[in-house]
Amino acid sequence: MKDIRFDNVTKSFPTRSGTPFVAIRDVSLAVAEREFVAVVGPSGSGKTTLMRMAAGLDHPSEGSVRVGGREVTAPGPDRAVVFQQFALFPWKTVRENIAFGLRCKGVPRARQDEIVAHYLKLMSMEGTEDRFPHQLSGGMQQRVAIARSYAIEPDVLLMDEPFGALDAQTRTVMQEELVRLTRKEPRTVLFITHAVDEAVYLADRVVVLARDPGRLREIIDIRPTREAEDWDSRPIDQVMDLASFTHLRTQVWRLLRDQIRPDD
Amino acid sequence: MAFMTIADRAPHPRELMLLSVAGAVLFFGGWQLLAMSGAVSPQTLPSPIAVIGTAWQLAFEPFAGHTLLQHIVASLGRFAMGFGLAAAIGVPLGLAMGRFRLLDDIVSPIFEALRFIAPLAWVPFAALWFGTGIGGPVMVIFAGAFPPCLINAYRGAKLVEVRLVEAAQTLGAGGFRIMAEVLLPGALPSIVAGLRVSAGLAWQSLVGAELIVASAGIGYVMVQAQSNLAPAIVMAGMLSVGVIGLAIDVALRRAERLVKSRWGQA
Amino acid sequence: MHGLPQAEPTNATIRPGAAARRSPGWRISRRVRIGLASLIGTFALWWLLTDITGVIGPHRFPAPAEFWAAFVQIAIDGYAGGTLITQAWYSTRLVIMGFLVAIATGVPLGLLMGVSHRAEALLNPAFLLVRPIPPLAWIPLAIVWLGLGDAAKILVIWFAAFVPSVINTWTGVRGVDRTLIAAARVHGAGELRLLWEVIIPGSLPMMFTGLRLSLQASWTTLVAAELVGAFFGLGRVLDAAYRDINPPMIAVAMLAVGVLGALTTRLVAVAERRLIPWRS
Repeated sequence: MKDIRFDNVTKSFPTRSGTPFVAIRDVSLAVAEREFVAVVGPSGSGKTTLMRMAAGLDHPSEGSVRVGGREVTAPGPDRAVVFQQFALFPWKTVRENIAFGLRCKGVPRARQDEIVAHYLKLMSMEGTEDRFPHQLSGGMQQRVAIARSYAIEPDVLLMDEPFGALDAQTRTVMQEELVRLTRKEPRTVLFITHAVDEAVYLADRVVVLARDPGRLREIIDIRPTREAEDWDSRPIDQVMDLASFTHLRTQVWRLLRDQIRPDD
Repeated sequence: MAFMTIADRAPHPRELMLLSVAGAVLFFGGWQLLAMSGAVSPQTLPSPIAVIGTAWQLAFEPFAGHTLLQHIVASLGRFAMGFGLAAAIGVPLGLAMGRFRLLDDIVSPIFEALRFIAPLAWVPFAALWFGTGIGGPVMVIFAGAFPPCLINAYRGAKLVEVRLVEAAQTLGAGGFRIMAEVLLPGALPSIVAGLRVSAGLAWQSLVGAELIVASAGIGYVMVQAQSNLAPAIVMAGMLSVGVIGLAIDVALRRAERLVKSRWGQA
Repeated sequence: MHGLPQAEPTNATIRPGAAARRSPGWRISRRVRIGLASLIGTFALWWLLTDITGVIGPHRFPAPAEFWAAFVQIAIDGYAGGTLITQAWYSTRLVIMGFLVAIATGVPLGLLMGVSHRAEALLNPAFLLVRPIPPLAWIPLAIVWLGLGDAAKILVIWFAAFVPSVINTWTGVRGVDRTLIAAARVHGAGELRLLWEVIIPGSLPMMFTGLRLSLQASWTTLVAAELVGAFFGLGRVLDAAYRDINPPMIAVAMLAVGVLGALTTRLVAVAERRLIPWRS
């Protein structure tokens, strides 16, 4: 398993006017091995940029991003990404989508089938393996995408608002399933979201960003409370009614509220 | 350095610029050298310089009865007539078909049946009915330009929100007013896109028609040059056809952008 | 002068949009009924104007009976050097050959220009020069170079079908969802796999738009080329019938051109459905 370290990372993009746009300024953040860190922030706080740099899809202008101690230079199968728009290959069936990364790694065919079957079962999707993505609901599609990322057994899982495109009920179900999955097969997770209760419910620590430019505002530890009150063994609606949960949620929410402008 | 640059960041603009210049130099230089080396006779492949020289010469010295400019004027006249006629009939008919289902049901099968006949296959009838001077070629141009005019107007009208039509109806607008003030502006982006395609097809049908039946025009120049085995003149003709076609396309592209910026992305 | 992506309306059938309005069963039957009535009406009008009233004389457009006689004549005895089947096959074979050569050259070039900004920059100048020249304008040059035989026809069809193949493949590649490319990359796909499993399938729909445009351009060009000069083929039939002032035979040849155009287009549509099963 690997950790993620952002050290004094600044990311700016060139613009037409000449003055570069600063998306992230001087962010330092460490995600320990097998730790689940959620990043929340208003739009324009550079959440997605942070994730893309960890994935190797973007590169920092200053500072360094390291995964497992090694500088990130390009995308690699040690860091799987789950995208908000699912990013399933429309021309591949569920099975082919999940097996894609395994084939890239050169996993033998028989072993591929085992792994695919394992995750289909874990995500309760048996029987859908020969369907094309457009034949599945949004929730099902995102399950396939998560399974596809888990299947390559990455050290690090990067999730960019994975439930952002889902309706409220499906979202709740998926949050519960993700908790189940990540507690069963823990990974180092960087989870980007703008939903506060999602972040508090899922994460060990919640990172709050400020915007214009994107920078670190505060880090809130959730894990001690979660373990003390044993959230993981309760259903999600119960957890969200607990005083400890609402307290933490309010704490995060206050940090965000004063940044939100009426035009959001 | 990854080869598939779309998957990564694009190379520096200056590098791309240099490559483009290199590409142009290679193409024209290679062509010129091939022609000069004597490996291919000028009776087969004249050099690019010879082609441009020939075009210049033809602008002043008559060939096939007129100077090149006069031929071009003749061609453009036919083009304007055929294209104008296609737009004047195709666009209103398409809009009306998009609005009235009965008309749609009546015209669609006939249109579908005729659609696959290549426009140039109309040449014999066109010549028989309207002669080889102006009428025949104009009809062939019409056959080429008509389908996109009709189809895009039809599609544009279908894309106009039903609610807008209903709103106009509740405000007391009649059929003609709905067409002119709701469907036409709503469908305009699609129509202009169709006109661009249509102009392209019209221009190429014109060249085809003039190759086969005409006594003046740029296609006629080319076919005469072909029987005289004068490839430099043929290529000078191709050059003018390309340049004029490009100019027409650029003009309509402008119009398209104007319409889009005014009416928004539709 | 070829249309860009959105410029494919000449191919799309007019039906789907209209069919979705009401319940399909009712809609289709009504459509078919009115459509049939419309075709029968056109036929009746034709008969009325030619045979019955003689408003349109036989030197302008044939009456139904003359049309049928001409059809029988070319189908059995032949006209302009062959029967309908031989002439039609002759033309179709040339279209298919030119079309295949165009695909085999145009699609790879479009892929190359789509995938690599460098290749695009290098090849674009030559392409920009060739692109605005309508395919029909190549006919005289092809005849000067290769004479009136098959080679010249294949050359002009190649020119006609090449440009739309390149452009649509190229736009197709550029239109592939960037997120999918990123997704493939983060799952460890290399260049070749990216090309074969993501970029090519992602650009297939656009490629097929190009192929349909190419096919149409191929037929138009072939007919024109055969009208300018040929020994066999449907264009030759048209030309001979025009010179003989034989309107019934002109009409038969036109019909044959239309039917073959429709059939080959249908063939491409079938291939499209086979190759793109993931589209609903």
